[in-house]
Parts: sequence; C-alpha cells; structure tokens
Amino acid sequence: MNSRIICIGNRLIDRDMAGLAVFDRLQAMDMPPGVEVIEGGLAGLDLLPLLEGVERVVFVDTVHGFTDSDQVVLLDREQIIGCLEGVHYGHEAGLPYLLTVLPKVCEGRMPQDIRLVGLEDRCTPEGIVRAAALSLSLATRDTGES
Amino acid sequence: MTKETQRISVPLNRAEGDLEVHVDVRDGIISDAWSSGTMFRGFEDMMTGRGALDGLVFTPRICGVCSLTHLTAAVEALDAVTGVKAPDNAQRQRNLALMAETIQSDVRQSVLMFMVDFANREAYGSHPLSREAYERYAPLAGTSSLQVIQQTKHLLQIVSIIGGQWPHTSFMVPGGVTSTLEVSEILQCRMVLEHFRKWYEEKFLGCTLERWQAVTSAADLEEWLEESRAHRESEVGFFLRFARQAGLDEIGGGHNRFLSYGSLPLPSTSAVSGTNGQLLGAGFANGTTVAPFDPNKIGEDTSHSWYTQDDASAHPSRAGTRPYASGPGGEKYSWVKAPRYDETAVETGPLAEMIVDNDPLFHDLLREQGPNVVLRQLARLTRPARLLPAMLTWLHELDANHGGDFYHRVDTIPDGEGAGLLQAARGALGHWIRIVDEKIDHYQVITPSTWNGSPRDEKKERGAWEEALIGTPVRDPAHPVEAGHVVRSFDPCLVCAVHSLRKGKKVGRVTLNGGL
Repeated sequence: MNSRIICIGNRLIDRDMAGLAVFDRLQAMDMPPGVEVIEGGLAGLDLLPLLEGVERVVFVDTVHGFTDSDQVVLLDREQIIGCLEGVHYGHEAGLPYLLTVLPKVCEGRMPQDIRLVGLEDRCTPEGIVRAAALSLSLATRDTGES
Repeated sequence: MTKETQRISVPLNRAEGDLEVHVDVRDGIISDAWSSGTMFRGFEDMMTGRGALDGLVFTPRICGVCSLTHLTAAVEALDAVTGVKAPDNAQRQRNLALMAETIQSDVRQSVLMFMVDFANREAYGSHPLSREAYERYAPLAGTSSLQVIQQTKHLLQIVSIIGGQWPHTSFMVPGGVTSTLEVSEILQCRMVLEHFRKWYEEKFLGCTLERWQAVTSAADLEEWLEESRAHRESEVGFFLRFARQAGLDEIGGGHNRFLSYGSLPLPSTSAVSGTNGQLLGAGFANGTTVAPFDPNKIGEDTSHSWYTQDDASAHPSRAGTRPYASGPGGEKYSWVKAPRYDETAVETGPLAEMIVDNDPLFHDLLREQGPNVVLRQLARLTRPARLLPAMLTWLHELDANHGGDFYHRVDTIPDGEGAGLLQAARGALGHWIRIVDEKIDHYQVITPSTWNGSPRDEKKERGAWEEALIGTPVRDPAHPVEAGHVVRSFDPCLVCAVHSLRKGKKVGRVTLNGGL
C-alpha cells in the first residue's frame, strides 16, 4: 500500500460531514492500485495504526478559518501541527495531536508525506468534487515529488 | 475571615463535547455546583421513522471513543425486540470487542487524562513525587504517556480482527455476528492480548493478575503496596502514593449511591462465571448495600434541563426529546437531562461496577473511606485486571468451539419494544427502541455522562458530580485543580450526552482552558 486517503468527520453533524461526503464520492470511484480510502470518522488517536507502513497519507476534513467559505485548502504536516493549541490528550484530540505524537510512538515506517485537504466551513457539491480530485491527485503522486 | 461567596468556572478541557461546570466557593470550600451541557442533544430524533436496523449504523457514530459500546447497546435492544439469543460464539466475539474498547479507554483515561494532572508543576511543584510524576506523565513526552499510546494501539487489532474492519465496524447484527473467526485470527487475537496482559501486569500492577486479585481488603492493599518495589513503582502503586499525599482520597464524595446495568452476557457454556448470566452483575447500591436492578425504575427528569415533556419524569421508553430553551429564568441550565433511578441521583462507572458486583476490596474501601476521587480512579485503573482473564478464556473457547454457530437467522424485526442496557467504559449505557411496521417509532439513549453529569431534578437534588464537588477545598480560585480532579474522576465525555461539536475542533482549537 502506497497511499491512504483518510476522510474524517461526523455524518450526524452537518457542519462536520464534508470529509465523509468526499469519502462517499471516492468510494464510488475505482481507486488506482496502491491507494486505499478509509472512513476515519471520529477515530482520533485510533487512526494511528493507519499511519504506519504507508508512504503517503491524505486526510480530508472540514476546517474553519483558513480560507473563504466553501473553498478547499491544502495543509502540510507542519501546518497541521501548528494548529495544536494544547498539549493534553482528550476525548476530542484531533489531527494536530495525532501528528504531533506520531513520531514518538510510530512502530513502523513513518509516512513520507502527510497532507490535509480541508473543506472550509461548509459542504457544497462543488467543494466535494474539488476535494476528492485533489485528494486523489495527491495520493497518486510519486513519493519523490512531495 | 471572608464570608463572601465567589462563583468560578472549572476549566475542563479534555472533556469531549461541551461541558461547563460552575461552583460557588465560600471560605475556600465549594458550597454549590452546577454542571451544564451547553449544546442541544437531538440525536434520538434523527432515528424516528428510519429502518429498524438503522441504529446499528447511526449510534456507533455518536462517539469516536466508544463506538463499539453504542453498537452493542443497539444490537442488544434489537435482540430484545426479536427475542432471538445470539449463539455462544457470537456472544464471545461481541464481548471480546467490547472489552478491548473498555480496557483501552481505562488505560488511556487513567494516564493521559487523569494522572497527567500530576505533572502540572504549577499545582504540584512542591509535591514530593512531582519530579517523577513529570517524567511519567508529561504531555507528549512522559514515559508512561507514550507507552500507553503505543500499547493501547495494539488492542485495536483485536477489534479489527473480530469486526472485520476498523474504524466503523458493523459486525454485530440481531441474532449474532456477521462472520466467524478463522483459527489463525483467534491465535492472532490471543497473541495481542497476551502481549497486552504482560505489559499491563508489569507496568500497571507490578505483579501478576492473580496476585492483584488476592488484594481483597483495605489491609491487603496496604500490604501489597509495601510488599515490593515493583508494586510501589507500578502505575497503580505510584497513583496511590501520589494521590494520597495530594489528599485526593479526601475529596469527591458524592451521593454514595451506585448503579450498574450489568454487562457482558455469558455464553450458555463457559468456564467464565458471573452473576445472573452476566460477567458484571447488575444492581443498585446504597453504600455497600446492593439491591437487584429494576429497569422500570429509570426515569428522565427535565425539571432543570432545556427540554419539555408531559411529566417531570418519564421512563426512557416513553420520554421524548423536545427542546425547550425557555421557561422560568435560571431553573433550567443544561441540555443534559437528569436520569434518576427510583427517583434518586446515582453515580455510575467502574467504581459502581465494583460495588454492585460485591468486589470485596472496594466494599472494604468504601466502608472505610466513603466514595472519593482515589476510589473512583483506582477502580478504573484496575478494571482491566477483572476483564483480561475472561477475555483469554473466551478466546480459548472460541478456538475449542471453532465452527460453532455465530448467527441465528433474523429475517424481519417485528413490532415491539426492547432495550440494550450494558456497562460502557464510563458507566451505564442504555438504548431503548420501539419498532412499528419495521420502522423506528421511538429511540432514546441515556449515556453514562448523562447520569454522572446531570443537572438537578424536580426535588432539586444535584447530579452525581455536582454533589461530589460539594465540600471540595479550592486553594486557588484561579486554578481550581481540586475541582478538576473531582469531575475528571468520573471521566466526563459529553460528546454523546450532548450531540454536537464546536467550531475548529478538528484543527485542535480546544476552546476551554487548560492548566489543570
């Protein structure tokens, strides 16, 4: 397995379901060899095993405050970690905590490239199409190009 | 000496969902407390009119922490409607997955969410064990913290093997489970569990499970603590030494009433024994006096919650979820309802399990000390020692009975009512369902944090952690560390008590204050 696209969010909450709408779109498509699409939901720290033994991870999720509403933004690992405001683990520990702790607890091979495709604020059909295309494009790049 | 009362907010980051706790402090002691869920809970209303099986898909997505627990409650409610009992091997598989999730939660909560506060140098810089606490529990760096993340990650393999996928497994269905395990998969689960047991024995107990199970009284506990350096240096030993010196065994009393629905149904043939057909017995305890559990005595009171219903209190099989953010000023203050058992407020969780199940150690400690923060947390730290032996036995039995039934056919869900009542990591969890014409006519969920974090009821009786806060000393109102310990000893998790989410959550913008 070379790449995982991990879509996260909560289907039951309108403002947090964009990542999973992207998951549904990707699920309906034929994935290229070496690309796996995961419904990450609210798994938080339990996503750790999915970050081991893979070259590239693309998260897809709702974000707030990065760009204009309905737009899609691309963040790298350092930018995601930069959003960590507290160092404590909690039931709602999100991506910044997960990626901060990853190098300290990873028992397999670390991903060479971790990105977040963020859907700002809302979940429009156009945004979902753009985010799905961008996620797939990132997942199928050669690792060396990152 | 001042006689003024000061109202302060207790900073409670790390409680998923939206929780606010306000307390009145008079002469340095908490004299009153209010716990408020600050977002509307409307989850049950989504279920009405949907297909009978939809609870199996929807309810595990309430919460990322205990999704399997909700799946189990949902399937047990449907089992009750159909009247079909899952085959033994299916029951073993269901139990094993649920127990893996519970143990993972216990170990993570203890170290990453409770004992991490021992590393707070501002609060505990002068504590004799401060330096060691920091080395163990410092966020993102403590030796124990990192080990816990690594080891609990492995437990997920059991869930993923049994469930066929992770996250969002839906392997439990009315009548059993969707597939059986291959022998190689059973062996893989055993390897993972044996590895975890070894780590838990060395790191958490400093002794074997059998040695810990021989600790059956307060005197035994002291003897165990003095017996060896390994015991004292274990997480349980260090917790006891640190917490007692910090006075945590003197705060967090509460109502001294406990509720456990019981959990983990026993297969019809098994070497594992329990109480009334379950590994964990059901009951209500007033102190150490345990009475049988009667599910008809559960009521949801909305006197101080932003809901309206025809009666002040209603059984969850009839109670609705009608938001009503109005009413007499100040009386209603939470989106969490007030569940009551026999019209009284109770606490639930690992300590309640120990008391209701007549665990001799915790009965002795409760008689000697009354409920407190140390007891609640000690119950959580050591609950895996109760669960691991049964898990290993059931894995062995799955191997010995390989090829046995795993599903009893269920073609349709008939009209009827049912309930799935079990013990989640944080305590009593219930799903109540009514099916009409193969559709959900009524769905109601009461989570453990709804019990523990409830507001007042019609009689103005406080909820469990509201009551536990009374009498707690607060040295520094700007940093009410002691109050945080009390609430956190219940392991609050409001995401499924109040179903919503705050802006920026997924990019780590935790809005509540840290610093505990």
